Amino acid sequence: MPLKELKTDTENTLTIERILHTKRYSLTLDKTLCVGCEICQITCPREAIEIKKTPKKNGEKAQRPIFDVSEQKCSYCGMCEPICPFSALEVRVDGQRMVPVLEKESFPKLIREIEVDPTKCDIDCIDCQEVCPLNLISVKILAPGGKEISPEEARSMPNKENLKVKVNIEKNLSPCCRLCELKCPKGAIHVRKIMHGILRINLEKCPDGCQDCLDVCPIPGALYLDESDRKVHTNETFCVFCGTCTIVCPVKEALVLDRRTIHHTPVSSGAWNKALEKLTSAKEYSKEAKTKALTKAKKMAEKRLLLKEAS
Amino acid sequence: MAETPRVGVFVCHCGLNIAGVIAIKELIEYAKTLPYVVVADDNRYSCADPGQEQIRKSIENNKLNRVVVAACSPRMHEPTFRKCVMETGLNPYFFEMANIREFSSWAHGDNPEQATEKAKEIVKMAVAKAVLLQPLEAMEVPVTNKAMVLGGGIAGICAALDLADMGFKVYMVEKGESIGGHMAQLDKTFPTLDCSICIEGPKMVDVSRHPNIEIISFADVLRVDGYVGNFKVKIRKNPRNVIADNCTGCGECRDVCPVEYPNEWDMDMGVRKTISVPFDQAVPLVYTINKDYCIECYKCVDACGARQAINFDQKPEEVELDVGAVIIATGFDIYLPTDDQRYGYGKYDNVITALELERLILAAGPTRGKVVRASDGKKPHSVALIQCVGSRDVNKYEWCSGFCCMYAVKNAILLKEKYKDDVEVYILYMDMRTHFKGYEEFYRRARELGVNFIRGKASQILEDSKTKNLIIRAEDVALGEPIELETEMAVLCTAAIAKKGSDEVARIFSISRGTDGFFMESHPKLKPIDTPVDGILLAGACQAPKDIPYSVSQGSGAAGRAATILSKPKWKIEPIIAVVDQETCQNTRVKCAICQKVCPYGAASAPENQPARVTPAMCHGCGTCVAECPTDAITQMHFTDEQIMNQINAALEANPEEKILGFLCNWCSYAGADLAGTSRFEHPPTLRAIRVMCSGRVDRDFVLEAFREGAGMVLVAACHLPYDCHYISGNVWMTKRMQALKGMLEKLGLSPERFRIDYISAAEGSKFAEVITEMTEQMKALGKDRILAENEKLRPIIDRMLARKKAKKAAPTISASSK
Repeated sequence: MPLKELKTDTENTLTIERILHTKRYSLTLDKTLCVGCEICQITCPREAIEIKKTPKKNGEKAQRPIFDVSEQKCSYCGMCEPICPFSALEVRVDGQRMVPVLEKESFPKLIREIEVDPTKCDIDCIDCQEVCPLNLISVKILAPGGKEISPEEARSMPNKENLKVKVNIEKNLSPCCRLCELKCPKGAIHVRKIMHGILRINLEKCPDGCQDCLDVCPIPGALYLDESDRKVHTNETFCVFCGTCTIVCPVKEALVLDRRTIHHTPVSSGAWNKALEKLTSAKEYSKEAKTKALTKAKKMAEKRLLLKEAS
Repeated sequence: MAETPRVGVFVCHCGLNIAGVIAIKELIEYAKTLPYVVVADDNRYSCADPGQEQIRKSIENNKLNRVVVAACSPRMHEPTFRKCVMETGLNPYFFEMANIREFSSWAHGDNPEQATEKAKEIVKMAVAKAVLLQPLEAMEVPVTNKAMVLGGGIAGICAALDLADMGFKVYMVEKGESIGGHMAQLDKTFPTLDCSICIEGPKMVDVSRHPNIEIISFADVLRVDGYVGNFKVKIRKNPRNVIADNCTGCGECRDVCPVEYPNEWDMDMGVRKTISVPFDQAVPLVYTINKDYCIECYKCVDACGARQAINFDQKPEEVELDVGAVIIATGFDIYLPTDDQRYGYGKYDNVITALELERLILAAGPTRGKVVRASDGKKPHSVALIQCVGSRDVNKYEWCSGFCCMYAVKNAILLKEKYKDDVEVYILYMDMRTHFKGYEEFYRRARELGVNFIRGKASQILEDSKTKNLIIRAEDVALGEPIELETEMAVLCTAAIAKKGSDEVARIFSISRGTDGFFMESHPKLKPIDTPVDGILLAGACQAPKDIPYSVSQGSGAAGRAATILSKPKWKIEPIIAVVDQETCQNTRVKCAICQKVCPYGAASAPENQPARVTPAMCHGCGTCVAECPTDAITQMHFTDEQIMNQINAALEANPEEKILGFLCNWCSYAGADLAGTSRFEHPPTLRAIRVMCSGRVDRDFVLEAFREGAGMVLVAACHLPYDCHYISGNVWMTKRMQALKGMLEKLGLSPERFRIDYISAAEGSKFAEVITEMTEQMKALGKDRILAENEKLRPIIDRMLARKKAKKAAPTISASSK
């Protein structure tokens, strides 16, 4: 059978496939998870991914950009899957989930550091669940014996100290925006962001009455409209630095997004270096390279010391 | 002229081939009346020893200094008679041939009287040329005793090994990453079922280890300059991004590489890593990084470690090779019938080509030898092998690809031996072609193993959408009714076609291709290995589809042909070249350099303010510069203006308005005319043909002179545009020049059909006969009166145009007019 390269577009998914007689690869986008950011497009080494701007209709809100991928260009290396902050992509080889670049340690995973201490939780508080913009949190109340009960039942229970709270967070899908952390009245949640950086709006260049960036931003609060000057302002505390806003911004340099660091598992790979340089900057990349070299040197020194001691 | 010409005319009977049609006695008597003819004689077979002896004796007895043999085509026996003449001490270029067999007796067998008349004029034209012939000395050039073999398939491998064993240095240039060719892709070979790579592998290794062979793989040929014995070939080595000398072929880099891409070697059925070799036995065993897919993670660099074989900054490298001979063995491609809806290839998962089956059934293939269906990965319980997909199809590829019957039988036997009664095998065929040693026996073995042979061509393949089985519709010729056959897999035995890029190779080496796209040999029977370019030879399936034993034989044959050149310290070159008269060349006064512009071989150079020069060893003798030279300062030896003008005058002396004067290029149109004669395609005897080496030689003045003399029609016939010309671009320049002249003549009142420019290949005998028939009819339709009237009107104008030429040859010492 000759090589087949297919593309299937459904309501909730976009799938491309490379089918050979003896092997098949697929890449699937979950449209319900994709926010139309630029991370995968920047990372793709084959320039197979295109994030298309949706044309804006007069008087309507700006729409999120649309993800598209070329079935001819994609080589199914899988770099787009681990780098997606929203985990919207999935690579399969012969039907099994498999990311070739992770398999061969050529690419890192993003580190999603989210810790919850449910012992601090108030019994009927579901603030975190309510604030999560991606509906990734569910709070459960467990009666003694592990049975799940409703908040009403909990309120009517006599011995509230015997009840336990369980907070379930779908970490893998989380872009780590910290909204829950800051909303939590008891300080029970700790979130470390995946990416850090700078997000600024140049008010002089920002056109009056435009709030396209705000319309497409997946995280409420990262951008907000200030009633006093009717302009959009930024709040880096919540920003996940996905860059969706930069794609829709109609004026050059009105919105500046500068990624500085990306929290990831350790890796030694040219492909990651290149991706990092493209996602952040040459400066940031060299910083990471320097740290890596230092760590390596330190390890070597320790090793030698240990050897010396042993002898 | 130093001596008065003494011409001897020898008419050959060629048994009854000539004498059966043409009145030999009458012809001899006529020849005796021609100017400067001292003796005219006949012989039953002039080319045989007694015939040659008669010529030699006559030269001595009659003190002849020019010899005309009226017999077959000069393309046949000119070299024979030149040698014969030379043996008497006469210069071989004092010989001229009158082609009265292909051009008269064979072409006009139904019309002996007119054939005799035509033969007389053919002899007259030959004598007219002969009296002006000049002695020429063959040039000798040194020979570089190294060879290049282009293409590392089994034909190229055998050619290279044979030449290397004879002691010649050989460069084996291969486009791909490894040598081996198609044979290295196959599982078992017919009719003995040896494992293909097991018998080819050792030969590949021999090539890599041979002290006289240098493999240059992953390389392209960019340019070829020079000539037989002295080719300069420019090669580009493409970057593998792996340093060949450092790579040990261990494969540790492949193991850590994360990215895979479809392996062309496996017909895209399996994958290979971005750093890999196409197959395990690759020679040279050097890994290659495909930068199209590489993500540059540098895991391979870490894995390679201290060997330091990986270099991502490798650049293409150009090298120049000096070789005396080139063997082209670029092989063939397999047709992929994605454009033919009937077979469902590419549409239905379980339809594959035979080469894909080879990769499946091969133990080293992507499935490790398991034949599986793409739809479900399961072994098929029934397989249909379908013959002649694309081959023997007038709507696709007309030819029989030759080896498909045999490999289908082989695949059937392999399936049967592998899966025994668990698989039913059908072969749907038009004819079973199992000639050659051991093939018929092999076919019988398949029948005895229970393979079902169904005579009939499959007309359509459909798919059962549930089971993904295939429903094959065909006509069973034995039953005489349509049948439907359901199988779990269908294997298409597709046509062997010309290799992609053959056009480029043809252009670079100035060789030609047939209408089928394969390279053309110099002669289909007697020179099947040579190309028209001296020193460039063909081996293997690049010339036509061939199986392994045939390719091996031709590879060795090509080595032998190359050795005939390489073993000589010097090579003789025909002195039919262009020479510039340093006095009349106007490049000293004006910026001309037209000769430099039109020369296809870069042989002519015209530095500013200096007369132009032609490098003799580089000149191929097409004569394009001679025709283009505005001051007639260039002469082509053996085809001088005076000689050709004399032929024109001789041809048109009597009743010119009833004749077609034709200029035919030696390689295509003259050969096409020969073929018309050989094939006995009857056509009117109206043509008087003048042979030129290339249509590029046909000067405007020749055409003008023909019309001035009153020719009824003029034909200039060449090789097909754009690439068939044996001198690369002579036909292109001729077309430009003649179209302009045609336009001008028509404005002056010439009927358009009276001057025809056409393109007739060596294979188009029938087209040649059609062209002459058509032109003769047109000439008749125009009528003698109209032609005469037009000529009357044109003559004074042409006279003025030719005044310069006339002035130049104001005092011809020898004329063609009758005594």
